[in-house]
Amino acid sequence: MSGATTSLELSVAATACRLRPEQWQRVRIVLVALALFGWVTSAWGWSQDTQQFHASYLVSFLYVATIGLGATLFVAIQHLTTAAWSVTSRRLMESIMITVLAAPALFIPVIRGLDVLYRWAQPGFFDPDDPNVAFKRVFFSPTFYESRMVVYFVVWCVLAWLLYQGSVGQDRHGGSMAAVVKLRRWSGPGVAALFVTVTSAAVDWVMSLEPYWYSTVFGIYVFAGGAVAFVAAIIILALGLRALGYLREWIHVEHYHDWGKWLFALSVFWAYLAYSQYMLMWYANLPEETAWYQVRLNGSWRWVSLTLAAGHFGVPFLGLMARRAKRSLPWLGAIAGWMLLMHWVDLHWLVMPTVHEHGFHLHWLDLSTWLAVGATAALVGWWVMGRHPLVPAGDLRLAESLEHHNE
Amino acid sequence: MAEVVLHSGGLNPPLVEGPTSFARITDDVCRIVENKPPRAWYVAMGISVTLTLILGVALYLLFTRGIGVWGNNQPVAWAFDITNFVFWIGIGHAGTLISAILFLFRQRWRTSINRAAEAMTIFAVICAGMFPLIHVGRPWRAYWLFPIPNPYIDMWPNFRSPLIWDVFAVSTYFTVSLLFWYTGLIPDLATLRDRARTKLARWAYGLLSLGWRGSARHWSAYEKAYLLLAGLSTPLVISVHSIVSFDFAVSILPGWHATIFPPYFVAGAIFSGFAMVITLLVIARRVYNLQHLITLHHLDNMNKILLATSLIVGYSYAVEFFTAFFSGNPYERFVFTNRAVGPYAWAIWTMVFCNVVVPQLLWFRRFRRSVPWMFVIAILVNIGMWFERFNIIVTSLHRDFLPSSWGSFRPTVVDFMTLAGSFGLFLTLFLLFLRFLPAVAMAEVKAVLPDGRQEVRA
Repeated sequence: MSGATTSLELSVAATACRLRPEQWQRVRIVLVALALFGWVTSAWGWSQDTQQFHASYLVSFLYVATIGLGATLFVAIQHLTTAAWSVTSRRLMESIMITVLAAPALFIPVIRGLDVLYRWAQPGFFDPDDPNVAFKRVFFSPTFYESRMVVYFVVWCVLAWLLYQGSVGQDRHGGSMAAVVKLRRWSGPGVAALFVTVTSAAVDWVMSLEPYWYSTVFGIYVFAGGAVAFVAAIIILALGLRALGYLREWIHVEHYHDWGKWLFALSVFWAYLAYSQYMLMWYANLPEETAWYQVRLNGSWRWVSLTLAAGHFGVPFLGLMARRAKRSLPWLGAIAGWMLLMHWVDLHWLVMPTVHEHGFHLHWLDLSTWLAVGATAALVGWWVMGRHPLVPAGDLRLAESLEHHNE
Repeated sequence: MAEVVLHSGGLNPPLVEGPTSFARITDDVCRIVENKPPRAWYVAMGISVTLTLILGVALYLLFTRGIGVWGNNQPVAWAFDITNFVFWIGIGHAGTLISAILFLFRQRWRTSINRAAEAMTIFAVICAGMFPLIHVGRPWRAYWLFPIPNPYIDMWPNFRSPLIWDVFAVSTYFTVSLLFWYTGLIPDLATLRDRARTKLARWAYGLLSLGWRGSARHWSAYEKAYLLLAGLSTPLVISVHSIVSFDFAVSILPGWHATIFPPYFVAGAIFSGFAMVITLLVIARRVYNLQHLITLHHLDNMNKILLATSLIVGYSYAVEFFTAFFSGNPYERFVFTNRAVGPYAWAIWTMVFCNVVVPQLLWFRRFRRSVPWMFVIAILVNIGMWFERFNIIVTSLHRDFLPSSWGSFRPTVVDFMTLAGSFGLFLTLFLLFLRFLPAVAMAEVKAVLPDGRQEVRA
């Protein structure tokens, strides 16, 4: 590729950049084995402790779904802003994004266990004579709830599919301004729809675990956490492929530097939202709001809360502030891996106090459901990664992206 | 690679249009300062100074008679004063966003608008800073806000109050914005010094340009300072309006206490700031023939940011409204119902129309690139964003928990004089800026010309 001077040669070099079939096959076998192991053990766990299964499963599902949705947001924003720097890593973003297609199927165990986890789903939970819960009674009625779920999944899958097809279409037919404009057109309304649906889903899936608690910023907080985890995931994915000998010239230190900036900026943004919510509730000290923090600041949950503040904010903030830190690939990889762990801690902290009020409690189902959901989603991403070049070969900005450097 | 660059011409539209050279850009910008201003400038200055004088009268009435000359009352203890404060602080957000955040995002198109936008930031913060001072009632004692040990009064600010955080946030923001603006000005001031035709001008610009000679060492120090100030300003853009939002959100008043307030206020501030930048630059580029520097492409991009922030603001309105009903809290529900259909419903729907409905036109390229349309939209956004703050403050205060203590707010003539006068002050400062300082960052625009970029790379 270093010899490529014309767009044609560059495009040819990009098209040739594919996963080697035997390597693809090997990873696929590993993923299938992990998924099978995860599903079988989780199923057994479900028969043993239904409530624990559903809580663990919800965390795992959210983990995968938020990363996929973070990827969808990122891909759409790249098209919307006609970004050049990120073009060489966009196919990896798209591979993470496409795992969203698995979300509707992966959601089945969640909806099957609604009444186990969500108190509002238990019959007769809301007093029909209480005017203050009249809105919630309608909002959480099965029909309305289920139609919302359908809307979410349709919006996400259609958007991910359109963005994906528009990009791989350029591999085959070559890039054109028409394709650029088309992708940008989908991305504008796409980002808007994504914001509304994801934040609303966060209310339905996470906030409503505590049926009387509310916070207006909550949806954005969950989405921001997903965006952080997505950036961490793409860094890990790119570094993993690099270790296997792929993409070394395509995604170079200048690109990693920018991904490092994103990881830094988004984890600060996440902390900003977390702090806004916490400080305002602490300050106002209203019992209906502080109850949520009360559980999380007592017993061993207190330590999880502190870990989250230090690990989800302090570590990337101090660890990625220096330019040199963002440009050191082993260091960046270590922080990214740490942030993937922190995203899990964040979701665990959001969900688990519902079932383990008195303290942090790690269960083996946390791992097995994570393996089941994670490996299944990874299989979807890996599947499509094997079918296309690892860089968007037809993209008009390929050369510009390759030349990218931080002044 | 050349072929590719050529091919993607549509992706990277030129940032400066028409036949341009470094000398031409210097001429185009400097002549604004060097030539006699056009008649439009005198007319605008006349109006602005008149309005500023009205502000003087309003302040005289306020200081001699007290807060009673305003419509403020119990329960509406905050009204136009704090509305204007938040409004102007919001206007002051575009400049630093363009200069700092767009700089960190490598948005090169920012270079021809950042200077004027930063100037607006500083003038808007001056206008904003005035309001908390005059609303304390005894502005000559406003220094009590600072933690100054004083044996006579035996008072100390309450550091748990966001009002005191505001004092520090706004003054820090002002200081850093001023430094940032001034740092950027130095090379351009030196250009004006070198071209000056009168002794006075040479002396004044010479003094301000701090002995700039444009040596490589100067540029290196300049670039470092610029990057550092950009990095420092970025958290400030977010912190100032977040802290302004805390003024409301830490309370337990329904309509004020919402966790989404910090990001929502920041987005609203950027929204209103961009609207003001568009409003003024659309006129300035025409009066001073700067259409080739501040191109339709720039305005198009700014309109996109306007649309994006409009959507965020609209989302926040929707989430607040939804949560009021979802929460099951009867007080929250009442406040939002009262907003929608109560005595101030007209103000709410003006706000929704101006901030959420009208900007949807900007989805279409035709509107984003039409100067008359964007001017109208930007003016409406300015109006809508003023009403947003008015609504937050007045509708939440006038009817709270106890119906027996409900009231209402009617602005007085002095209220309107102060509001109009603050616009006068802002515009006067801005017109003086256009008259005496380079309105476009010449050195930065040159760096984004094709020639400039090649030189940078070589």
